[in-house]
Amino acid sequence: MKAFGEIWRSNIFQKWLMALTGLLLVGFLLGHLSGNLLVFLGKEDINSYAHGLRTMGHGMVIWIVRLGLLSMFVLHVTAAITLSRRNRAARPQSYAKVTPRKSTVASRTMLYSGLLLLSYVLYHLAHFTWGAVHAGNYAGQIGWEYTLADGTLVPDVYRMVVASFQVPLIAVLYVLSMVMVGLHLNHAIASAFQTMGVTNQRLVPLIRRIGPALSFIVAAGFSAVPLAILAGVVK
Amino acid sequence: MNLRLHIWRQSGPDAQGMLKTYDVQNVSEHMSFLEMLDVLNEDLLTKGEIPVAFDHDCREGICGTCGMVINGRPHGPLVRTTACQLHMRTFKDGDEIYIEPWRARAFPVMRDLIVDRGSFDRIIQKGGFVSVNTGNAQDGNAIPISKKDADRAMDAAACIGCGACVAACPNSSAMLFTAAKVGHLGSLPQGQTERSTRAMNMVLQMDAEGFGACTNHYECEAACPKGISAEFIAQMNKDFVASAFGGRD
Ligand code: HEM
Ligand code: SF4
Ligand code: FES
Repeated sequence: MKAFGEIWRSNIFQKWLMALTGLLLVGFLLGHLSGNLLVFLGKEDINSYAHGLRTMGHGMVIWIVRLGLLSMFVLHVTAAITLSRRNRAARPQSYAKVTPRKSTVASRTMLYSGLLLLSYVLYHLAHFTWGAVHAGNYAGQIGWEYTLADGTLVPDVYRMVVASFQVPLIAVLYVLSMVMVGLHLNHAIASAFQTMGVTNQRLVPLIRRIGPALSFIVAAGFSAVPLAILAGVVK
Repeated sequence: MNLRLHIWRQSGPDAQGMLKTYDVQNVSEHMSFLEMLDVLNEDLLTKGEIPVAFDHDCREGICGTCGMVINGRPHGPLVRTTACQLHMRTFKDGDEIYIEPWRARAFPVMRDLIVDRGSFDRIIQKGGFVSVNTGNAQDGNAIPISKKDADRAMDAAACIGCGACVAACPNSSAMLFTAAKVGHLGSLPQGQTERSTRAMNMVLQMDAEGFGACTNHYECEAACPKGISAEFIAQMNKDFVASAFGGRD
């Protein structure tokens, strides 16, 4: 019997980890996106939604979700780096001439789009969650409370988002990052199903079309908020 | 036609190699690519130079011995065509052609365009076989096999073990080769005896040889002279976890 450690370290097992965690992260992104789009409904909707997230299950749920996300990120990134290093080592001498046939810009730059994504996530957390950058727009500051329809005093998330994206540099940074997300997912979504062994000939062509389409929807959906605010449509 | 070739020359496994440029004249469009190299080698021999070493055997696209990267594509520009079945009519007068060996840590260069593909043999030894009864041959139709399964096994069995998939893969992964073997035997009733451990054992050997991991670029299936589908890779991914959690290895 092989030890589980040997199986865990194998290339295919690491690929499975990357696919499973990646798809769960995609699921999170879709949930996150649907929340963000509440900005278009107005102040009350997004602020009560944000308040709901923070207080769900006596404030426990958000911490469970955060812990889950963190572990998925750690697993995904460590597997990505481990495999990328092995892949590089597998070809010590490169070709003088390479003429690709089926790989794409997205598939060949997964590590780079991923690493840029990682730095974006840290910046994004520092911005909206920790208030460590662009602190002048942080929703948690004194004087920025918003009163919900039921009278509860909550941080004004809506104001934070609008004030931030009225700064062109911040809006452009976010939109560029979403292009990065789109690039990563363009290859990632369909790839994950191949990794997880989907062979059905009715499903595979469908997945290879839905993957890139979904990646575009995610990138465009997230970009809509900063773009609408920058254009003054939402204020 | 006249051609300019840039060929990887390396005198031995540990020697430093480099691309060298050769001009060949009066190449007939009816020659195969290997015949063109034969002509170059004749020429080099008469000049007292060392001929270019390359692998070949059947020269009819069935043995998997030949193989070189021609202008950045394993076996050259045509689909489903081995280097020996590539003809010079694919090229035109004045073309510059880069000729390099398969590049992978698990395929060390022995000399010029010849690489050692012993790593493939070691992968096969780990599970590329089935258990059979010795003695009298069984009645031909004793084991029912559906046409679909037989076809699928045949599609996978078409792999000639040339290594073009590894050469084409940006990660030097041997997934397509290994998956073809796992998929071939796994599709047939005769292959079920070792089914639960085959993928596990062959995959771990593949890792140990230093092949890279698959990132689903699908360069392998595009380069494969036998058109093996990357669907077999997905199947092997599934067989591997099935072994991991249900195998008796
Ligand atoms: C929201 C964040 C992210 C999501 C939703 C995501 C999603 C995915 C998915 C679904 C896959 C496909 C797995 C497979 O092919 O089996 C993948 C692959 C990959 N990811 Fe991510 N990822 C994210 C962040 C990152 C980060 C931060 C890195 C940083 C290193 C990264 C690096 C990679 C690499 C190198 C691959 C492998 C490419 C391949 O096998 O084709 N990803 N990602
Ligand atoms: S899968 Fe195709 S490219 Fe790879 S070794 Fe077999 S025949 Fe050659
Ligand atoms: S020499 Fe046999 S396949 Fe080319």
